[in-house]
Amino acid sequence: MITGRLAQALDDRLRLSPITRRALVKVFPDHWSFMLGEIALYSFIALILTGVYLTFFFDASSADRVYRGAYAPLDGATTSAAYASTVRLSWDVRAGLLIRQTHHWAALVFVAAIVLHLARVFFTGAFRKPRELNWLIGVTMLTLALANGFTGYSLPDDLLSGLGLRIITSVVESIPLVGAWLVSLALGGEFPSDEMIPRIFVAHVLLVPAVLVALVSLHMGILVRQKHSQFPGPGRTEHNVVGSRLWPSYTLRTLALFAWVLAVLFALGGLIQINPVWLYGPFEPAQSTAPAQPDWYVAWGDGALRLFPPLEFRVAGHLVPAPFFPGVVLGGLTFLVLYAWPFVERLRTGDRRQHHLLDRPRDHPVRMGIGVAALTFYAVLTVAAGDDIIARLLRVPIYDLLSVFQVLVLVLPILAGALAFLTARALHRGGAAGVGELTRADLRRAAHRSPHPPEGEGEPETPALDRPGERIELWPEGDLWRWRYRDEARHLVIGGNRALRSEEEAISASRLAYPRVDRVVVPGPPPAPPPGPIRAALRRWGRAAAVGSLLLAALVEKRRDRRERERVDGPTPPEPAEEAPTGDGRT
Amino acid sequence: MRHSRAAARRLTLHPRRMLAVGAVLVLVAGPVALAPEPTPGAAAPAASAPSSNPADRGTELYLQQCASCHGEQGRGTQRGPSLIGVGPASVDFQVSTGRMPLSREEQQARRAEPVFSADDIGALVGHVGSFGGGGPQIPRVAPGNLASGQEIFAANCAPCHGATGAGTALTDGWTAPPLYDATATQVAEAVRVGPGLMPVFPSQVLDDQQVNDLTAYVQRLRGERLDRGGNPLGRLGPLAEGLVAWVAVLGLLVAAARWLGRRAGE
Repeated sequence: MITGRLAQALDDRLRLSPITRRALVKVFPDHWSFMLGEIALYSFIALILTGVYLTFFFDASSADRVYRGAYAPLDGATTSAAYASTVRLSWDVRAGLLIRQTHHWAALVFVAAIVLHLARVFFTGAFRKPRELNWLIGVTMLTLALANGFTGYSLPDDLLSGLGLRIITSVVESIPLVGAWLVSLALGGEFPSDEMIPRIFVAHVLLVPAVLVALVSLHMGILVRQKHSQFPGPGRTEHNVVGSRLWPSYTLRTLALFAWVLAVLFALGGLIQINPVWLYGPFEPAQSTAPAQPDWYVAWGDGALRLFPPLEFRVAGHLVPAPFFPGVVLGGLTFLVLYAWPFVERLRTGDRRQHHLLDRPRDHPVRMGIGVAALTFYAVLTVAAGDDIIARLLRVPIYDLLSVFQVLVLVLPILAGALAFLTARALHRGGAAGVGELTRADLRRAAHRSPHPPEGEGEPETPALDRPGERIELWPEGDLWRWRYRDEARHLVIGGNRALRSEEEAISASRLAYPRVDRVVVPGPPPAPPPGPIRAALRRWGRAAAVGSLLLAALVEKRRDRRERERVDGPTPPEPAEEAPTGDGRT
Repeated sequence: MRHSRAAARRLTLHPRRMLAVGAVLVLVAGPVALAPEPTPGAAAPAASAPSSNPADRGTELYLQQCASCHGEQGRGTQRGPSLIGVGPASVDFQVSTGRMPLSREEQQARRAEPVFSADDIGALVGHVGSFGGGGPQIPRVAPGNLASGQEIFAANCAPCHGATGAGTALTDGWTAPPLYDATATQVAEAVRVGPGLMPVFPSQVLDDQQVNDLTAYVQRLRGERLDRGGNPLGRLGPLAEGLVAWVAVLGLLVAAARWLGRRAGE
């Protein structure tokens, strides 16, 4: 009753009902993969909620402070205020550790959900026109999420995160000419500066989250404005959306997911320890710890730094240090390619139409192959960042492991990408429902360059006269006659599966199958499929080699002929061996 | 029970067979097996009737367990280093952590259940001491100051054993082991002796009080009460946490989305 009146009062003043009515009937597709982005959204909400609680107790300052509290090994120790307040948060503030851990777990889950959502959008082609804008916003949010994750990881000023910060400042410093300037601009001096923690704090709790909130709103506003994309299916077209309405069915479903995300995050925060900064100790520039890694979502950069050979050279007197390529170039290239992908693909395919129906991943084997190769590449880099842990657990020498990873990071993506490409093509051409249903024939077909249905497997086809370019081809094969149906426009060739005894019989058989189709007699068996570039090149070289060797043989023959003729006809020149003294015959 | 186990081991680890295994290992592992300071195994641990005199007992155990590699007078052989001047702390550390006697040839002995009783270890220490040469004595550990121990640990131990004490890989297949099984005395012995790749910290570097503080902190580090936040995941750090996060995302959250949403065919 009160709600009704309140709604009435609001509507009288703000005229909300048309907007609300339209919003409540907005249709969301039912497919589960559309909820991956929602997982990211809800972990972001969890991040904000827990983060606000943390700011009440966290003291973002590098100033000295004496910790007094329940953690005995640090009781009375003088550390930075940031570190002391984090330890206090973990040991002395009620629910502080639960909230801190939940915040950290939520950050890990947030980025993981973004990556999954990105993969879904990528593999289904959801970034195509008209959604390029949302792709760009999404990639920007990914970079901001990484940045905010890393700054949050660095804020407690513990030994482990201090090492990470030291590494990332070194990476920035490795940029020729401007690196050192950039670092001192960002940190307000040399690393570790007094202004480092306050600046990171402002970026972490104010700047980046504000931009993220704005971008999330924009992301969803564009989504509502453009309507959802959807998978093709019965009754689904480019102009509609099939699914559930926001109210009531989708609201319930998404709230269930929200509750579940919160439940999982708090369960992780309460049950599994994350980033025990009291064990790591405060950051001192002269100290270090091992094994040391960053959080998983930046570990690929760490892995690249570990695997890349120590290459240093000078360009016009300026040193280009080793971390430049794996750190700056790889990172920059990664996001450049991500940003550019929709436009690169449009340039490549020339497809400028609007797409509201999604591709199935198999529909674009090339995209599939590239995507899987890239994911494998970054996965190997991430695992390589844990080489010290793996070396200890497997008891193998760490440098051997590094060499193995250096090979794997180059080989595995190519293998995985090729496998994904072939699988996608086999699924696409063969029409199997899933990977488990692939047959050997599908795989064989996928290995060929051009799609041609296997001979004799002609589906019943009634060709119409209004399709140009279709004909029946007849040819003799020994005593027998064979025929096939060809549709030039659709690149379709269907062979008659029986050989017939005479031309007349072949004609009547083809007439029966394809009435009213012009017929052309082709003398000879069907031409071989066009050779691939390698085979063509080999053939060309082979031909050239054959011609060359024939020429050479002819030349040699001719010369031998001439020599023989000279010996027979002309006066033989006196041979030097005969003139020379023969010695005493000893050999 | 020990008797029967020892007998079984004697059967499987006959010296000649062990030599053959060692030769195969050398061929297979190549230079790794030939790495410096090979400390290859003794023959099977046998428990014979304990003699009453500790000196006799020590001699007897030494000849049974150690002499085949370290030599009857402790001067070392091709298979094991000299024991002259290693000091009681080193012998006690190696034997009480179960690293010696080795059951097979390997580059770095691993921690195991000690083979000898405390009395036997004492007897062995005495016998090796009789070779002469001095060396660090077994440290007497007293209670120490945790805060000072934390600082000493962070400055000297954390780079290899990790700030959490979980250990890590070093170069050439060596590892800095986790510290969670070490007793206070063993930690102090390792500090004074420097086994394996570990540097030696003599009393000029860390005085006895500092070692006491350090051992107090390491003992504290062992305690599960420091894992206040729940399962420590082996205290391996962010990548283990990332793995758990991915398992949770895929196994709980994506599964939930899949359950709430529909599949393509539906």
